Amino acid sequence: MTLSAGVDVGSNSVKAALVDDGGADARRLLGSAVQRIRGMDLADAVEECYEAALAAAGVEREAVDYVATTGESESVPFRTGHFYSMTAHARGGLFLVPDARAALDIGALHGRVIRMDERGKVLDYRMTSQCASGSGQFLESISRYLGVALDEIGELSRRADDPEAVSSICAVLAETDVINMVSRGISTPNILKGIHLSMAGRLIKLIKAARIEGVVAVTGGLAADEGLIAAMTEAAAEREFPLDLRPHPESALAGAIGAAIWGAFRHRKLSRLAPAG
Amino acid sequence: MGVEAIIGRCQGLLEDLDLACVSEWKAAGEGRKAIGFLPVYVPRELIHAAGALPVGILGAGEELEIVRGDACFQSYICHIPRSTVELGLRGKLDALDGALFPSTCDVIRNLSGIWQLMFPEKEAIYFDVPQNLDPQVGGVFYRGLLAEIVTRLQRVVGRDVGADDLRAAISAYNASRRLVRELYDLRAAEPWRVPTSEAYLLLRAGMRLPVEEHNELLANYLTAVRDEDRALRDNARIVITGTFCEQPSLDLIRTLEHAGCYVVDDDLMLVTRWYGPDIRTDGDPLDAIAEAWMSADDETPCRYVADGTRKGQQLVDSVRRCGAEGVIFAAPSFCDPALLDRPMLQAVLEEEGIAYTSFKYSENTAQLQPIREQAGTFADTIKLWSDA
Repeated sequence: MTLSAGVDVGSNSVKAALVDDGGADARRLLGSAVQRIRGMDLADAVEECYEAALAAAGVEREAVDYVATTGESESVPFRTGHFYSMTAHARGGLFLVPDARAALDIGALHGRVIRMDERGKVLDYRMTSQCASGSGQFLESISRYLGVALDEIGELSRRADDPEAVSSICAVLAETDVINMVSRGISTPNILKGIHLSMAGRLIKLIKAARIEGVVAVTGGLAADEGLIAAMTEAAAEREFPLDLRPHPESALAGAIGAAIWGAFRHRKLSRLAPAG
Repeated sequence: MGVEAIIGRCQGLLEDLDLACVSEWKAAGEGRKAIGFLPVYVPRELIHAAGALPVGILGAGEELEIVRGDACFQSYICHIPRSTVELGLRGKLDALDGALFPSTCDVIRNLSGIWQLMFPEKEAIYFDVPQNLDPQVGGVFYRGLLAEIVTRLQRVVGRDVGADDLRAAISAYNASRRLVRELYDLRAAEPWRVPTSEAYLLLRAGMRLPVEEHNELLANYLTAVRDEDRALRDNARIVITGTFCEQPSLDLIRTLEHAGCYVVDDDLMLVTRWYGPDIRTDGDPLDAIAEAWMSADDETPCRYVADGTRKGQQLVDSVRRCGAEGVIFAAPSFCDPALLDRPMLQAVLEEEGIAYTSFKYSENTAQLQPIREQAGTFADTIKLWSDA
């Protein structure tokens, strides 16, 4: 077995996962941790997160065969290798949802859909442009305007009875929309649902552009937003677009898990290639 | 001096757009002159032998907004001539007493004419290296051209340049080329020890410093970096090609490294390692420089390769010699020599089963995310899906 770690350094948080990997079906997640970066030195956040993941897995630092990074690798000086975030999310999505042949990664800075094969090899992808209106950062800003905690958003959104449409193109205009809605007395659930539907529209366009149908593993921090998942499902049904979105309790860790799995793969490959003796 | 201090000094020299270091060098001795040169190849030995400081003119990178430089060139021309004109018009090349313009491409040739019109008080020497490699034809032509350059340099510095001056200069640059080869060999063998961002900064420092001082810097770095404990990463080993003239920004080079690539060979700063063996220091020194040019095996898109079947062979050899797993074609936008050769080189790599990817850049490319994405996925493809 290969003991590998994945460290995903995102713009809002660091995620770390320890995987015991024997290849094929013999791999399991031993432990993980998530550390918010806000206000912290990035190197400290990485160190704390990695130590917490090692402790959760009951693994000594020296026992790890390969430390794989994804995201901003420069802040992980103890890394063995690095994988691009798309490569890592595809593999992590496949691990969490084995039926999936696509991953929808909705992180803090952008939304991205990745088409892959049964090995996790990336075949195609589409991502939101530089505008942040399809991302978690946008949703976080809106939640601050509304005085709502992030983990309340999903449930509030699902209580909406008359969602209010917002700009689907520009995060700045959308924020202006939201301020206007608040002053017009629109309820928080209806504002949030409107935002979710706006994001859903953008993300479904990406999925269609990448010619993806069927089971899609949802990865990244926003996979836990049940309001967004519900809005995407509704929007897909309205468009008669066959979409089976599968978030997973560990979706936020998909990048770290995928990096760890690829790290284990590389460790085995390099061991095979190493000269004998 | 430790690695950090050496690289810090090199970084300072790279950022010295006003050529303050050149002005300081000139001020330290009476009558000292500095001669600029454009990429790709110039015989720096001649400038050194004349007692002048050879100074590389390599554009302004991402540090200068181009305003007046754009007026001289059409939109389909690369960036380095624009920033060169901009630097000159803003007085940032005032420390130079003249410049050599090699026959890299039509753009650099025409830049020599623009330079003459804009800065008539400065010497402008355009020189055309031979395409005919017959010693009796190209060799004789080039020997004559070298003598003419020496004559014009003598006028700038106000003194004669003797054979001993030239031999001493050849010796100094032979030492430089040996050190640069050692740097490149070390990087190919242990790329985790010599990041390309550091190797590049070291070579760029040679565009500002006297060769003897630069040689000392290189030797110090080679000693210091061997003593430094640096972590080996599981990166893809790649060769970069197409970067011989307009240089990518340091951030672009770092982006490739952060994306998971070890650069094990490249064609950055080719002027520092032209020629294979040393140039001989016996006999007539101009004959020796001409012979070295004629017999050099260096293949770049701006050097004519008479035997078409050999096109791309040097790139394949570099991949094999350095144990590279793939090639990144990185060329400046609108670089005719690099972009015209690219399909031929790619065809050779395909025949050899060598993976490659391609992109274009400008010296002032600021949006590096697409390049990071491309290099990152290329490195992943090599590591996860190649047979090796």
